[in-house]
Amino acid sequence: MFINWKLREINLKIVYYGPSLSGKTSSLQYIHQRTRPDRRGELISLKTREDRTLYFDYMQFEMGEISGLKPRFNIYTVPGQVYYRGTRKLVLKGVDGIVFVADSQIRRLNENIAAINDLFEDLEELGFKPDEVPLILQCNKRDLPEIMPVLALKESLGLNGVPTFESVAVDGAGVLDGLKNIISQVVTKARGKIYSSPA
Amino acid sequence: MNQGLHIPEELLDRIDHILAHLAEKAHTDSIVLADISGQVISIQGVMDEGTPAVVAALAAGDVAAMSELSNRIGESDPHGSFFHEGETKSIYLHNIAGSFILIVIFRSETPIGLVRLFAKRAVEQLLPVTEEFEEIVGPPADYAPDDFRKGITQELDDTFTE
Repeated sequence: MFINWKLREINLKIVYYGPSLSGKTSSLQYIHQRTRPDRRGELISLKTREDRTLYFDYMQFEMGEISGLKPRFNIYTVPGQVYYRGTRKLVLKGVDGIVFVADSQIRRLNENIAAINDLFEDLEELGFKPDEVPLILQCNKRDLPEIMPVLALKESLGLNGVPTFESVAVDGAGVLDGLKNIISQVVTKARGKIYSSPA
Repeated sequence: MNQGLHIPEELLDRIDHILAHLAEKAHTDSIVLADISGQVISIQGVMDEGTPAVVAALAAGDVAAMSELSNRIGESDPHGSFFHEGETKSIYLHNIAGSFILIVIFRSETPIGLVRLFAKRAVEQLLPVTEEFEEIVGPPADYAPDDFRKGITQELDDTFTE
């Protein structure tokens, strides 16, 4: 979180994290498409020639001034492939909230578990207390056959108390609900932080 | 840095002054100071709306990747710098103590030596200023967190189209 008193802006960073091909980039593309053009920045994608996320996808959107501050949200995805773990950790620097995008297909459970373990390890290595970082679980690909029940997926990932949303990112179902929830969590936490800061 | 950063106006004025001096001496096009996570702190010069945020995000990625590359060859200098030479415009990036990034965009006919010289001087001046950042915190008197949270809910609905 970044509050710039001179520009009267509050900057917040949200990262979409998860295994490869789980729907992180699709989620961001949908968010970009649905954000009012006068409030959104360009969607930046650093991709490989195979159209896979190489470094990150990024977009920013802002809101109207609230209580004298203009909120700006910086939304990132990370590359999901195992060998890009270093990159994922770098994108997590300064994160305010995380959307964990799980692939609901039964056959992808091990990748989901590996990714959530990586996430918690990365957060710890970056100096966060993982259980204090606002997090939601977005169970994606709910339109496909052979998917896990949401409760079973949550339990397998050890995310029992985490707000959970079912989604079909390619057509956007559930994506904005998840985003709104994480923003609400982040803002609630920011409020606590501001109150607890010395004057 | 993970716990958030509140930037008081007085510090921003000092930063703006340093960046303005750099812009004048090195004949730069535009300058962005960002934090290591890619958030914009200050801008000098004219840029299109939204461009500084993108520049800062990409520069943060670049600096992070370069730091990792440096580590792989046994270098761990937290003040590393590098630049990209373009046909008409070039970019100089300077990592300030692993916490901030100075991004200088200049016309390619401007000698890189000139930019490097004044950028390094600016970094020396910025270092003590940036060190103060995390020590000085506090909301402005008219900041109303409860209203802010309620306002966000309303604004969220206005931000996304049907």
